[in-house]
Amino acid sequence: MSDGRKANKLRRSLFTIFFMFAVTFVFISVLSLIHVLTRDVIRLNESLVVKRAVLYVAGLEVPQSGIEADALYQDRVREVKDDQGVVLYYEVLDAPGGSIQSYALPVPGAGLWGEIGSVVGVEKDLKTLTGIEFIKQNETPGLGGRITEGWFKEQFRGKRWPLEVVPEGDPTGDQEFQAITGATNTTNGVKGILNDRLATAEEAIKATE
Amino acid sequence: MNSYKFRQVLKENIGINNPVFVQILGICSTLAVTNVLRNTVVMCAGLVFVTGLSNLTVSALRKYIPGRVRMMVETLIIASYVIIVDVVLKAYIPDISRQLGPYVGLIITNCIIMGRAEAFALSNPPALSLVDGLTSGLGYSYVLLIIAFLRELLGTGSIWGVRVLGEWWINWNIMIMAPGAFFMLALFIWVVKGNFMKEKKAQGSASTPAPQAASTGGKS
Repeated sequence: MSDGRKANKLRRSLFTIFFMFAVTFVFISVLSLIHVLTRDVIRLNESLVVKRAVLYVAGLEVPQSGIEADALYQDRVREVKDDQGVVLYYEVLDAPGGSIQSYALPVPGAGLWGEIGSVVGVEKDLKTLTGIEFIKQNETPGLGGRITEGWFKEQFRGKRWPLEVVPEGDPTGDQEFQAITGATNTTNGVKGILNDRLATAEEAIKATE
Repeated sequence: MNSYKFRQVLKENIGINNPVFVQILGICSTLAVTNVLRNTVVMCAGLVFVTGLSNLTVSALRKYIPGRVRMMVETLIIASYVIIVDVVLKAYIPDISRQLGPYVGLIITNCIIMGRAEAFALSNPPALSLVDGLTSGLGYSYVLLIIAFLRELLGTGSIWGVRVLGEWWINWNIMIMAPGAFFMLALFIWVVKGNFMKEKKAQGSASTPAPQAASTGGKS
Protein backbone atom coordinates (compact mmCIF):
# COMPACT_ATOMS: atom_id res chain seq x y z
CA MET A 1 0.00 0.00 0.00
CA SER A 2 2.64 2.47 1.10
CA ASP A 3 4.92 1.20 -1.70
CA GLY A 4 2.21 1.79 -4.25
CA ARG A 5 1.68 5.33 -3.05
CA LYS A 6 5.43 6.02 -3.19
CA ALA A 7 5.64 4.71 -6.75
CA ASN A 8 2.68 6.84 -7.66
CA LYS A 9 4.30 9.93 -6.19
CA LEU A 10 7.53 9.20 -8.03
CA ARG A 11 5.65 8.76 -11.28
CA ARG A 12 3.91 12.10 -10.77
CA SER A 13 7.19 13.88 -10.04
CA LEU A 14 8.80 12.38 -13.11
CA PHE A 15 5.82 13.44 -15.20
CA THR A 16 6.11 16.98 -13.83
CA ILE A 17 9.77 17.18 -14.77
CA PHE A 18 9.17 15.63 -18.17
CA PHE A 19 6.25 17.98 -18.80
CA MET A 20 8.31 21.04 -17.93
CA PHE A 21 11.12 19.90 -20.22
CA ALA A 22 8.73 19.20 -23.08
CA VAL A 23 6.86 22.50 -22.81
CA THR A 24 10.09 24.48 -22.51
CA PHE A 25 11.58 22.64 -25.47
CA VAL A 26 8.58 23.37 -27.69
CA PHE A 27 8.40 27.05 -26.82
CA ILE A 28 12.13 27.65 -27.06
CA SER A 29 12.19 25.96 -30.45
CA VAL A 30 9.44 28.21 -31.76
CA LEU A 31 11.16 31.31 -30.38
CA SER A 32 14.52 30.28 -31.85
CA LEU A 33 12.91 29.84 -35.23
CA ILE A 34 11.37 33.32 -35.07
CA HIS A 35 14.68 34.73 -33.88
CA VAL A 36 16.55 33.21 -36.81
CA LEU A 37 13.95 34.44 -39.28
CA THR A 38 14.05 38.06 -38.07
CA ARG A 39 17.71 38.29 -37.01
CA ASP A 40 19.00 39.92 -40.17
CA VAL A 41 16.20 42.49 -40.37
CA ILE A 42 16.71 43.49 -36.73
CA ARG A 43 20.48 43.79 -37.13
CA LEU A 44 20.00 45.94 -40.22
CA ASN A 45 17.49 48.15 -38.37
CA GLU A 46 19.88 48.64 -35.49
CA SER A 47 22.87 49.51 -37.65
CA LEU A 48 20.69 51.81 -39.73
CA VAL A 49 19.91 54.01 -36.74
CA VAL A 50 23.54 55.15 -36.61
CA LYS A 51 24.03 55.17 -40.38
CA ARG A 52 20.96 57.32 -40.98
CA ALA A 53 22.15 59.67 -38.22
CA VAL A 54 25.56 60.12 -39.89
CA LEU A 55 23.95 60.86 -43.26
CA TYR A 56 21.43 63.23 -41.67
CA VAL A 57 23.99 65.32 -39.77
CA ALA A 58 26.13 65.59 -42.91
CA GLY A 59 23.15 67.31 -44.56
CA LEU A 60 22.60 64.51 -47.08
CA GLU A 61 19.14 63.46 -48.20
CA VAL A 62 18.44 60.24 -46.26
CA PRO A 63 16.47 57.72 -48.35
CA GLN A 64 13.34 56.19 -46.80
CA SER A 65 14.27 52.64 -47.72
CA GLY A 66 16.78 50.93 -45.48
CA ILE A 67 18.66 49.30 -48.34
CA GLU A 68 19.12 52.60 -50.19
CA ALA A 69 20.23 54.37 -47.02
CA ASP A 70 22.75 51.61 -46.43
CA ALA A 71 24.05 51.91 -50.02
CA LEU A 72 24.44 55.69 -49.72
CA TYR A 73 26.29 55.20 -46.45
CA GLN A 74 28.66 52.70 -48.06
CA ASP A 75 29.37 55.17 -50.88
CA ARG A 76 29.81 58.37 -48.93
CA VAL A 77 31.00 57.50 -45.42
CA ARG A 78 34.31 56.09 -44.20
CA GLU A 79 34.54 54.82 -40.63
CA VAL A 80 37.73 55.57 -38.69
CA LYS A 81 38.24 53.02 -35.93
CA ASP A 82 40.70 52.56 -33.08
CA ASP A 83 42.67 49.36 -32.33
CA GLN A 84 39.68 47.74 -30.64
CA GLY A 85 37.43 48.38 -33.62
CA VAL A 86 35.41 51.12 -31.90
CA VAL A 87 34.38 53.86 -34.31
CA LEU A 88 36.12 57.13 -33.37
CA TYR A 89 34.59 59.28 -36.08
CA TYR A 90 33.15 59.18 -39.58
CA GLU A 91 34.56 60.85 -42.67
CA VAL A 92 31.85 62.06 -45.03
CA LEU A 93 33.06 62.19 -48.65
CA ASP A 94 31.90 64.67 -51.28
CA ALA A 95 31.49 61.84 -53.81
CA PRO A 96 31.93 58.06 -53.78
CA GLY A 97 35.68 57.56 -53.30
CA GLY A 98 36.18 61.34 -53.20
CA SER A 99 37.80 63.61 -50.66
CA ILE A 100 36.61 64.52 -47.18
CA GLN A 101 33.70 66.97 -47.11
CA SER A 102 32.97 66.97 -43.37
CA TYR A 103 33.18 64.83 -40.26
CA ALA A 104 30.60 63.17 -38.04
CA LEU A 105 31.39 62.14 -34.49
CA PRO A 106 29.58 59.96 -31.97
CA VAL A 107 29.31 62.17 -28.86
CA PRO A 108 27.88 60.96 -25.54
CA GLY A 109 26.13 63.39 -23.22
CA ALA A 110 24.16 63.57 -19.99
CA GLY A 111 20.43 64.17 -19.95
CA LEU A 112 17.92 64.43 -17.14
CA TRP A 113 17.09 60.71 -16.81
CA GLY A 114 20.00 59.09 -18.55
CA GLU A 115 22.56 59.24 -21.28
CA ILE A 116 21.90 61.21 -24.44
CA GLY A 117 23.72 59.57 -27.32
CA SER A 118 24.28 61.86 -30.27
CA VAL A 119 26.03 62.08 -33.61
CA VAL A 120 27.39 65.55 -34.35
CA GLY A 121 28.51 66.69 -37.79
CA VAL A 122 31.26 69.33 -38.16
CA GLU A 123 32.94 71.04 -41.08
CA LYS A 124 36.66 70.52 -41.68
CA ASP A 125 37.40 73.56 -39.48
CA LEU A 126 35.98 71.47 -36.57
CA LYS A 127 34.05 74.58 -35.44
CA THR A 128 31.06 74.88 -37.75
CA LEU A 129 28.28 72.36 -37.12
CA THR A 130 26.68 70.62 -40.08
CA GLY A 131 23.97 69.04 -37.93
CA ILE A 132 23.12 66.95 -34.89
CA GLU A 133 21.07 63.81 -34.38
CA PHE A 134 20.11 62.07 -31.13
CA ILE A 135 20.31 58.30 -31.40
CA LYS A 136 19.66 57.45 -27.79
CA GLN A 137 17.69 59.36 -25.17
CA ASN A 138 15.34 58.73 -22.26
CA GLU A 139 14.18 62.31 -21.74
CA THR A 140 10.64 63.06 -20.55
CA PRO A 141 8.30 62.50 -23.50
CA GLY A 142 6.81 65.80 -24.62
CA LEU A 143 9.38 67.87 -22.72
CA GLY A 144 13.02 66.88 -23.02
CA GLY A 145 11.94 64.24 -25.53
CA ARG A 146 11.30 67.10 -27.97
CA ILE A 147 15.04 67.20 -28.76
CA THR A 148 14.21 64.65 -31.46
CA GLU A 149 11.82 67.09 -33.20
CA GLY A 150 12.92 68.56 -36.50
CA TRP A 151 12.86 72.27 -35.55
CA PHE A 152 15.23 71.65 -32.65
CA LYS A 153 17.79 69.61 -34.58
CA GLU A 154 17.69 71.72 -37.73
CA GLN A 155 18.58 74.93 -35.89
CA PHE A 156 22.15 73.71 -35.33
CA ARG A 157 23.14 73.56 -38.97
CA GLY A 158 25.77 76.23 -39.70
CA LYS A 159 26.17 77.25 -36.05
CA ARG A 160 29.66 77.62 -34.56
CA TRP A 161 30.35 76.17 -31.12
CA PRO A 162 30.68 77.12 -28.24
CA LEU A 163 26.99 77.95 -28.11
CA GLU A 164 24.82 79.95 -25.75
CA VAL A 165 21.16 79.22 -24.97
CA VAL A 166 18.25 81.57 -25.72
CA PRO A 167 14.58 80.98 -24.78
CA GLU A 168 12.40 78.90 -27.10
CA GLY A 169 11.00 80.97 -29.96
CA ASP A 170 13.62 83.75 -29.74
CA PRO A 171 15.80 84.62 -32.74
CA THR A 172 19.31 83.16 -32.60
CA GLY A 173 22.74 84.35 -33.68
CA ASP A 174 25.32 81.98 -35.15
CA GLN A 175 26.61 81.08 -31.67
CA GLU A 176 23.20 80.58 -30.02
CA PHE A 177 20.46 77.97 -30.02
CA GLN A 178 16.88 77.87 -28.74
CA ALA A 179 16.17 76.03 -25.50
CA ILE A 180 13.21 73.74 -24.96
CA THR A 181 10.71 75.29 -22.55
CA GLY A 182 10.25 73.12 -19.48
CA ALA A 183 13.34 71.04 -20.18
CA THR A 184 16.23 73.04 -18.77
CA ASN A 185 18.30 70.01 -17.80
CA THR A 186 17.94 68.42 -21.21
CA THR A 187 18.85 71.70 -22.91
CA ASN A 188 21.94 71.94 -20.73
CA GLY A 189 22.79 68.35 -21.64
CA VAL A 190 22.73 69.28 -25.33
CA LYS A 191 24.78 72.37 -24.59
CA GLY A 192 27.30 70.15 -22.78
CA ILE A 193 27.49 67.83 -25.76
CA LEU A 194 28.36 70.70 -28.09
CA ASN A 195 30.56 72.82 -25.84
CA ASP A 196 32.49 70.22 -23.82
CA ARG A 197 32.11 66.68 -25.12
CA LEU A 198 32.51 67.60 -28.78
CA ALA A 199 35.94 69.13 -28.13
CA THR A 200 37.05 65.88 -26.49
CA ALA A 201 35.74 63.83 -29.38
CA GLU A 202 37.51 66.03 -31.89
CA GLU A 203 40.86 65.18 -30.29
CA ALA A 204 40.62 61.90 -32.20
CA ILE A 205 40.48 63.72 -35.53
CA LYS A 206 43.40 65.97 -34.62
CA ALA A 207 45.43 62.98 -33.42
CA THR A 208 45.15 61.11 -36.70
CA GLU A 209 45.95 64.09 -38.90
CA MET B 1 -26.20 28.54 -23.68
CA ASN B 2 -22.82 28.84 -25.24
CA SER B 3 -23.36 32.23 -26.83
CA TYR B 4 -24.82 33.39 -23.54
CA LYS B 5 -21.51 32.51 -21.88
CA PHE B 6 -19.54 34.38 -24.52
CA ARG B 7 -21.70 37.45 -24.05
CA GLN B 8 -21.34 37.20 -20.30
CA VAL B 9 -17.53 37.12 -20.62
CA LEU B 10 -17.63 40.12 -22.94
CA LYS B 11 -19.85 42.10 -20.58
CA GLU B 12 -17.66 41.32 -17.60
CA ASN B 13 -14.38 42.26 -19.24
CA ILE B 14 -15.55 45.37 -21.02
CA GLY B 15 -17.77 46.71 -18.29
CA ILE B 16 -18.72 45.44 -14.86
CA ASN B 17 -15.45 43.69 -14.18
CA ASN B 18 -13.11 45.76 -16.34
CA PRO B 19 -9.46 44.96 -15.59
CA VAL B 20 -8.39 48.60 -15.42
CA PHE B 21 -11.12 50.61 -13.77
CA VAL B 22 -12.75 47.88 -11.64
CA GLN B 23 -9.90 45.53 -10.81
CA ILE B 24 -7.23 48.26 -11.05
CA LEU B 25 -4.82 45.91 -12.82
CA GLY B 26 -2.21 46.82 -15.44
CA ILE B 27 -1.77 50.28 -14.00
CA CYS B 28 1.99 50.38 -14.62
CA SER B 29 1.55 50.41 -18.36
CA THR B 30 -1.55 52.59 -18.10
CA LEU B 31 0.65 55.29 -16.63
CA ALA B 32 3.66 54.70 -18.81
CA VAL B 33 2.51 54.38 -22.39
CA THR B 34 -0.56 56.60 -22.61
CA ASN B 35 1.17 59.91 -23.33
CA VAL B 36 1.15 59.43 -27.10
CA LEU B 37 -1.73 57.71 -28.89
CA ARG B 38 0.44 55.91 -31.46
CA ASN B 39 2.49 54.09 -28.81
CA THR B 40 -0.66 53.20 -26.92
CA VAL B 41 -2.21 51.55 -29.97
CA VAL B 42 0.86 49.38 -30.50
CA MET B 43 1.05 48.51 -26.81
CA CYS B 44 -2.65 47.57 -26.72
CA ALA B 45 -2.38 45.44 -29.85
CA GLY B 46 0.54 43.61 -28.24
CA LEU B 47 -1.41 43.08 -25.04
CA VAL B 48 -4.55 41.79 -26.77
CA PHE B 49 -2.39 39.35 -28.72
CA VAL B 50 -0.65 38.10 -25.59
CA THR B 51 -3.73 37.83 -23.35
CA GLY B 52 -5.71 36.07 -26.08
CA LEU B 53 -3.10 33.51 -27.07
CA SER B 54 -1.74 32.85 -23.59
CA ASN B 55 -5.27 32.18 -22.35
CA LEU B 56 -5.88 29.87 -25.30
CA THR B 57 -2.63 27.97 -24.72
CA VAL B 58 -3.02 27.66 -20.97
CA SER B 59 -6.58 26.47 -21.44
CA ALA B 60 -5.58 23.90 -24.09
CA LEU B 61 -2.93 22.49 -21.74
CA ARG B 62 -4.98 22.82 -18.55
CA LYS B 63 -5.73 19.10 -18.20
CA TYR B 64 -2.03 18.20 -18.44
CA ILE B 65 -0.32 20.95 -16.47
CA PRO B 66 0.69 19.53 -13.07
CA GLY B 67 -0.75 21.75 -10.34
CA ARG B 68 2.57 22.32 -8.64
CA VAL B 69 4.28 23.85 -11.66
CA ARG B 70 1.32 25.61 -13.23
CA MET B 71 2.67 29.09 -12.51
CA MET B 72 5.99 28.19 -14.15
CA VAL B 73 4.19 26.95 -17.23
CA GLU B 74 1.96 30.03 -17.38
CA THR B 75 4.97 32.34 -17.10
CA LEU B 76 6.79 30.39 -19.79
CA ILE B 77 3.82 30.63 -22.15
CA ILE B 78 3.24 34.33 -21.50
CA ALA B 79 6.94 35.16 -21.81
CA SER B 80 7.15 33.37 -25.13
CA TYR B 81 4.31 35.40 -26.61
CA VAL B 82 5.75 38.63 -25.24
CA ILE B 83 9.11 37.85 -26.86
CA ILE B 84 7.31 37.22 -30.15
CA VAL B 85 5.65 40.65 -29.91
CA ASP B 86 8.97 42.28 -29.03
CA VAL B 87 10.85 40.65 -31.90
CA VAL B 88 8.14 41.48 -34.44
CA LEU B 89 8.09 45.13 -33.35
CA LYS B 90 11.89 45.35 -33.51
CA ALA B 91 11.91 43.88 -36.99
CA TYR B 92 9.01 45.71 -38.60
CA ILE B 93 8.33 48.94 -36.71
CA PRO B 94 11.73 49.73 -35.11
CA ASP B 95 10.83 53.38 -34.42
CA ILE B 96 7.92 52.56 -32.16
CA SER B 97 9.85 49.68 -30.64
CA ARG B 98 12.57 52.13 -29.62
CA GLN B 99 10.04 54.54 -28.14
CA LEU B 100 8.25 51.86 -26.14
CA GLY B 101 11.61 50.68 -24.87
CA PRO B 102 11.31 48.30 -21.94
CA TYR B 103 7.51 48.44 -21.76
CA VAL B 104 7.00 45.76 -24.38
CA GLY B 105 9.07 43.33 -22.34
CA LEU B 106 7.13 44.42 -19.28
CA ILE B 107 3.86 43.17 -20.80
CA ILE B 108 4.85 39.95 -19.07
CA THR B 109 4.43 41.55 -15.67
CA ASN B 110 0.97 42.85 -16.55
CA CYS B 111 -1.28 41.30 -13.93
CA ILE B 112 -4.20 41.07 -16.33
CA ILE B 113 -2.53 38.28 -18.29
CA MET B 114 -1.50 36.11 -15.35
CA GLY B 115 -4.79 36.95 -13.65
CA ARG B 116 -6.88 35.72 -16.57
CA ALA B 117 -4.72 32.62 -17.00
CA GLU B 118 -5.09 31.71 -13.34
CA ALA B 119 -8.68 32.74 -12.81
CA PHE B 120 -10.22 31.80 -16.12
CA ALA B 121 -8.13 29.75 -18.53
CA LEU B 122 -7.27 27.02 -16.01
CA SER B 123 -10.95 26.20 -15.53
CA ASN B 124 -12.57 26.92 -18.89
CA PRO B 125 -12.42 25.43 -22.41
CA PRO B 126 -10.04 26.93 -25.00
CA ALA B 127 -12.52 28.82 -27.21
CA LEU B 128 -14.14 30.58 -24.28
CA SER B 129 -10.71 31.32 -22.78
CA LEU B 130 -9.54 32.84 -26.03
CA VAL B 131 -12.58 35.12 -26.03
CA ASP B 132 -11.99 35.96 -22.39
CA GLY B 133 -8.35 36.85 -23.10
CA LEU B 134 -9.21 38.96 -26.12
CA THR B 135 -12.02 40.83 -24.38
CA SER B 136 -9.87 41.42 -21.29
CA GLY B 137 -7.31 42.91 -23.62
CA LEU B 138 -9.97 45.04 -25.27
CA GLY B 139 -11.35 46.15 -21.91
CA TYR B 140 -7.84 47.31 -21.06
CA SER B 141 -7.24 48.82 -24.48
CA TYR B 142 -10.24 51.08 -24.79
CA VAL B 143 -9.60 52.61 -21.37
CA LEU B 144 -5.98 53.28 -22.32
CA LEU B 145 -6.93 54.69 -25.68
CA ILE B 146 -9.39 57.14 -24.14
CA ILE B 147 -6.78 58.23 -21.60
CA ALA B 148 -4.08 58.50 -24.27
CA PHE B 149 -6.40 60.51 -26.54
CA LEU B 150 -7.07 63.05 -23.82
CA ARG B 151 -3.47 63.19 -22.62
CA GLU B 152 -2.01 63.71 -26.07
CA LEU B 153 -4.66 66.30 -26.89
CA LEU B 154 -4.20 68.32 -23.70
CA GLY B 155 -0.47 67.72 -23.37
CA THR B 156 0.69 68.46 -26.91
CA GLY B 157 -2.36 69.88 -28.69
CA SER B 158 -2.11 67.07 -31.24
CA ILE B 159 -3.76 63.78 -32.08
CA TRP B 160 -1.62 61.03 -33.60
CA GLY B 161 1.20 63.56 -33.88
CA VAL B 162 -0.91 65.94 -35.99
CA ARG B 163 -1.61 69.34 -34.46
CA VAL B 164 -5.37 69.80 -34.08
CA LEU B 165 -5.58 72.64 -31.59
CA GLY B 166 -4.50 76.05 -32.85
CA GLU B 167 -1.49 78.09 -31.80
CA TRP B 168 -3.58 79.60 -28.98
CA TRP B 169 -3.48 76.31 -27.12
CA ILE B 170 -0.92 76.19 -24.32
CA ASN B 171 0.28 72.65 -23.71
CA TRP B 172 -0.41 71.14 -20.32
CA ASN B 173 2.99 69.67 -19.64
CA ILE B 174 1.73 67.73 -16.64
CA MET B 175 -0.44 65.63 -18.96
CA ILE B 176 2.53 64.05 -20.75
CA MET B 177 4.29 63.18 -17.53
CA ALA B 178 3.30 60.17 -15.42
CA PRO B 179 1.31 62.22 -12.86
CA GLY B 180 -0.96 63.32 -15.70
CA ALA B 181 -1.96 59.71 -16.18
CA PHE B 182 -2.85 59.42 -12.50
CA PHE B 183 -5.16 62.40 -12.78
CA MET B 184 -6.71 61.14 -16.00
CA LEU B 185 -7.21 57.63 -14.70
CA ALA B 186 -8.75 58.91 -11.48
CA LEU B 187 -11.11 61.20 -13.38
CA PHE B 188 -12.00 58.37 -15.73
CA ILE B 189 -12.83 56.00 -12.87
CA TRP B 190 -14.81 58.74 -11.17
CA VAL B 191 -16.89 59.49 -14.26
CA VAL B 192 -17.49 55.84 -15.12
CA LYS B 193 -18.37 54.72 -11.60
CA GLY B 194 -20.44 57.80 -10.90
CA ASN B 195 -22.50 57.69 -14.07
CA PHE B 196 -22.62 54.19 -15.49
CA MET B 197 -21.99 51.72 -12.71
CA LYS B 198 -24.31 52.91 -9.96
CA GLU B 199 -27.45 50.99 -10.92
CA LYS B 200 -25.60 47.86 -11.89
CA LYS B 201 -23.92 47.87 -8.53
CA ALA B 202 -27.23 48.11 -6.70
CA GLN B 203 -28.72 45.32 -8.80
CA GLY B 204 -25.56 43.28 -8.59
CA SER B 205 -25.49 43.09 -4.83
CA ALA B 206 -29.14 42.07 -4.75
CA SER B 207 -29.53 39.46 -7.47
CA THR B 208 -26.36 38.23 -9.19
CA PRO B 209 -23.57 36.60 -7.24
CA ALA B 210 -20.27 38.43 -6.96
CA PRO B 211 -18.12 38.05 -10.08
CA GLN B 212 -15.76 35.09 -9.77
CA ALA B 213 -12.99 37.12 -11.28
CA ALA B 214 -9.33 37.49 -10.73
CA SER B 215 -7.74 38.87 -7.67
CA THR B 216 -4.05 38.32 -8.08
CA GLY B 217 -1.80 39.70 -5.42
CA GLY B 218 0.47 42.33 -6.96
CA LYS B 219 -0.78 45.20 -9.06
CA SER B 220 1.75 45.98 -11.68
